[in-house]
Amino acid sequence: MNNSQSGIRYSDLTQTHKDLACKLSKEGMGRREMMKLSLMTGVSLVAAKSLLLDAKVAMAAEPKKGGTLRYASNLHGPDDKVDPRLFTSNIDYSRGRAVYNGLVQLGENITPMPELATEWTPNSDASEWTFTIRKGVKFHDGSDLTPEDVVYSMNRHLGEKSTSVIKSVMSSVKEWKKSGPMEVKAILNGPNADLPILLGLFQNKVIKADSTGDWNGTGPFTSESFEPGVKSVHKRNENYWREGANLDAIELTAITDPVARVNALISGDVQIASNIEPKAFRQIDSADNVNLSSIPAALQLGICCLKNSAPGENDDFVKGMQFLQDRERIVKRILKGKGSIGNDTPISSAHGADFCSELPQREFDLDKAKFHFKKAGVDGAEIFVAPVTSGIEDTCLLAQANAAKIGFDLKLKKVPNDGYWGAVWMKEPVNVVTWNMRPTANSQLAIQFAPGAKWNDTFWNNKRMGELLTASLSELDPDKRHAMYCEMQTLVHNGSGMVIPAFSNINDGVANNIMGIPNVPLGQVGGCEWPEFVWMA
Amino acid sequence: MMMRMVLQRLGIGIATLFVVSVIVFVITSILPGDVADIILGQSATPETLAALRAELGMDQPWYIRYFSWLGNLASGDLGISKAGGASISSLIDSRIWNTLIMAGMVSLISIPISIVLGLWAAMHPGTRLDRIVTFGTLSTISVPEFFIATIMVLIFAVKLKWLPATLYLTGNENWSELLKAMAMPMITLVIVVSAQMIRMTRAGILNVMSSPYIEMAILKGVPRKRIILRHALYNAIGPIVNVIALNLAYLVSGVVIVETIFSYPGLAKLMIDGVQTRDLPLVQACAMIFCAVYVILILLADIASILSNPRLRHPK
Repeated sequence: MNNSQSGIRYSDLTQTHKDLACKLSKEGMGRREMMKLSLMTGVSLVAAKSLLLDAKVAMAAEPKKGGTLRYASNLHGPDDKVDPRLFTSNIDYSRGRAVYNGLVQLGENITPMPELATEWTPNSDASEWTFTIRKGVKFHDGSDLTPEDVVYSMNRHLGEKSTSVIKSVMSSVKEWKKSGPMEVKAILNGPNADLPILLGLFQNKVIKADSTGDWNGTGPFTSESFEPGVKSVHKRNENYWREGANLDAIELTAITDPVARVNALISGDVQIASNIEPKAFRQIDSADNVNLSSIPAALQLGICCLKNSAPGENDDFVKGMQFLQDRERIVKRILKGKGSIGNDTPISSAHGADFCSELPQREFDLDKAKFHFKKAGVDGAEIFVAPVTSGIEDTCLLAQANAAKIGFDLKLKKVPNDGYWGAVWMKEPVNVVTWNMRPTANSQLAIQFAPGAKWNDTFWNNKRMGELLTASLSELDPDKRHAMYCEMQTLVHNGSGMVIPAFSNINDGVANNIMGIPNVPLGQVGGCEWPEFVWMA
Repeated sequence: MMMRMVLQRLGIGIATLFVVSVIVFVITSILPGDVADIILGQSATPETLAALRAELGMDQPWYIRYFSWLGNLASGDLGISKAGGASISSLIDSRIWNTLIMAGMVSLISIPISIVLGLWAAMHPGTRLDRIVTFGTLSTISVPEFFIATIMVLIFAVKLKWLPATLYLTGNENWSELLKAMAMPMITLVIVVSAQMIRMTRAGILNVMSSPYIEMAILKGVPRKRIILRHALYNAIGPIVNVIALNLAYLVSGVVIVETIFSYPGLAKLMIDGVQTRDLPLVQACAMIFCAVYVILILLADIASILSNPRLRHPK
C-alpha cells in the first residue's frame, strides 16, 4: 500500500496521526474526512485519500470482537428453508453458513479447507475418498458430532427419492459409509479429483442424523428466532470448535426492492445490502458511509441458441450472434466496469488455473456477424429475455441496436422471471440464461455441456467433450490437466450454441466499518461465507 | 328485521368465500409451473420434480387436493406452506398483526381528519379553504403512493437520516420507537386514503344539501352549521361509511406497494409471495382473510347506514 505520488505512507505517520486516520476512515472515505485529515496533518488532499485507504487496510489486519450486524439480502419469502439440501437463495446460504458446518470449506480462491473433516485422502484413482471427522465438535443442542450424522447428511443427496437441489451434482457419489470410529468413506461411481471442492457447496451441510436440519447445527452462530420471509436472529455460539465468529449477533432479513435496499444501507438500517445493481453504483460511491464490495466471478450473461432447432442448429447463426456482441461496451457501460469480458465459454479467470487464457478473444465485428448471418441464410431472430441477471436485458437491447446496423432484425420477446426456468429456458430456440458460479471448472462445464446432461441448455452434444470431462477428473498432472481444460473451452467456444459476452462481478454494498469479507466468488458477500469472518471496526 | 338482514348477509358472505376459494384455486393452478418447479427452479430434473411432488402430496388430482384443503379449513387447520414447510397459521400470525397495527393507526388518523375536513369544505363551499382542500385532495389522488413514499425516504432517511428507511421491527421497540419507525409508511397511507374519504364526505353532504327539505330548513332560518350537523350529515352517512369501509379493506389487503418499499412484512406481500411460489394453501388462506374482511366491513357499513337512516329499514 505505498503511496509513491505523494511520498507519504501510512507507516511514516506518527501514532497520533495514525489513530486520527483510523478514526476518520471509520467515519467515511468522503471529501469531508479527506479535508479533516489534510487540515490536521498538513498532507495534500490526494495524499489524505490514500492515507485513509491505507488506514482502513491497516485496521483490517486486527479483527475486533463484538457488535450486531443486520444483513439485507435481495430475496426471501415464506419459502425460506431450514433444510440445507433445499437451500436455493442467498439468504438461505448465509443462514446455513451461520448455523451449520460442512465437511469442507471453500476459502480464498476456492481452495478447499478443513472444516468438520480434518483431512481427506483419495485412493489411487480418486474413486474412493476417506474423510477424518473432527473430534470434540458439538451440536447446538449439546450432542456430539458423530460419523453417523455425517453419513446421514451426505446420503440425503443421493438416491431415487432424494429431493436435493444438488442431487445431480453429487451423483458421482454412489454411497457414503462409516469406516472407522471417526472416519467416513465416499464410494464413487468413477474417479473424481474434485470431490472435496464439491463438498463446499451450500447444500452440503452436516445436520443431526434423522433430522431435517431444524437449525440444530455445529456452526458459529445459534438460531434464536426464524420467521420465514421476515427475519432470523442468530447469537454467537460460545462453544464453537474453533475461535469462531467476531460478531455478537447477526440479523438476517431481505429487502426485495433494489432501491429500498440501497436506501436502507445508506441510512444505516442495515450494514450489508447484497446484490447491488449497476444502476446504484453511483449512489453508493457518492455516499460517505458505505462502499461497494465487488468480487470478480464467473456469473455469466448468457444467450442460449438451441442446437436442436432452427436457427441455432446452424453454426453460422451462432457465430453471427457471437460477433454481434460489443463485449467491451457491455462491461464498461452496462456492468459499469464491475465485470469481465467473456469468450463464449462459461469459464472465467475467476476459475483460476483451469481458465484458458491462450484461447484467442472473440471480438465485436459487425462485418463478420453480417457475413455469418448471410451464410446461415437468416435475416432475423427472436430472443426470449427475462431479467435473470442484472445487465442481461440491456445486453440484448445493445445486440438489437447493433443488429439493426447490419440489417438483421433481432426481436426481443420480454418475459417475466416468474416461471421462466420451467416454461422458456431450454424450450424457446433462443433464450437468455445465467448460472451461479460453480466451484470447479469441471462442474461448471459439465452442468451445461456434458453430452446428454439434464441441463445441457443448448442441446449441444459433443462426444470429445464428454471424454475430456471424465478424463480431466482423474488427471492429477497440472500441465496435462490445463491442456484438457483448454481443449474443452476451445470446443465450447467454437462449436456450442452459447453466446457469453460478459461475466458480472458479485456486487454488494457494505458499511465502511464492516471488515473481513472473504474473497470467495461463489455467491453474494464473499460466497455467503461472511457470517463467521466479518467484524466491525 | 335487522337481525334477519344481518344473518342473510352473513350467509351470502360465506357463499362468496366459497366461490372465491374455488376461483383462486383454479386460477393459481392455471399459472405456468407448480410449487415443485419453483422450489427447484433452474436445478429441477424430472426425477427430483417427481420426488418433491410426491413428498408434497402434489401428485393427487386437483379436486382431491381442493376438498382436503376445504375439509381442513372447516376444522380450523390452514395447512402447511408447500414452498417452505412452515405452518400457514404461523406465517399469517405475525403478519396479520403487522397489517392490523398499520391499518388501525392509519384509520385512527385518517378517518377523523377526513370527516372534519370534508365537513368543513362542505360547510363553506366555494371559499378559499374549500378550494385548497379540493386542490390538495385531487393532487394527492393523482400522485401514486410509491412516488410519495420514495421521495419521503430520500429526504428523511437518506439525506437527513432522521427516520429509518425501512420498517424493520425487532419486537423490543417501545411506543416512541415504534411511531418513529412507522411514521413514513403511515403518512404515505394517510395521504392516499384520506383524499378519497374527504372528497366523498364533501360530495355526499353537498348532494343532500340540494334536496328540498334542506331548502325548507334554510327558509325556516336554521343556521348552516346546524343544518349540516343535524339534518344533512345523517342522510349522507350511508355513502360516507361505505367509502370508509372500502378504504379500510384496502388498508388490509391492498397496500403491497407500501409494504414492499418499506420492506414491512404484511399480509398483502405474503399473498404475492404465495402466488410467486405457487403455494396454493398460502394463497387460499390469504384470499379467505381478505374476502372475509371485505364482507364484514361492507356489512358493518350497511348496518351503520340503516341505523342512521330509518327509511332504509323498510325497503319498498
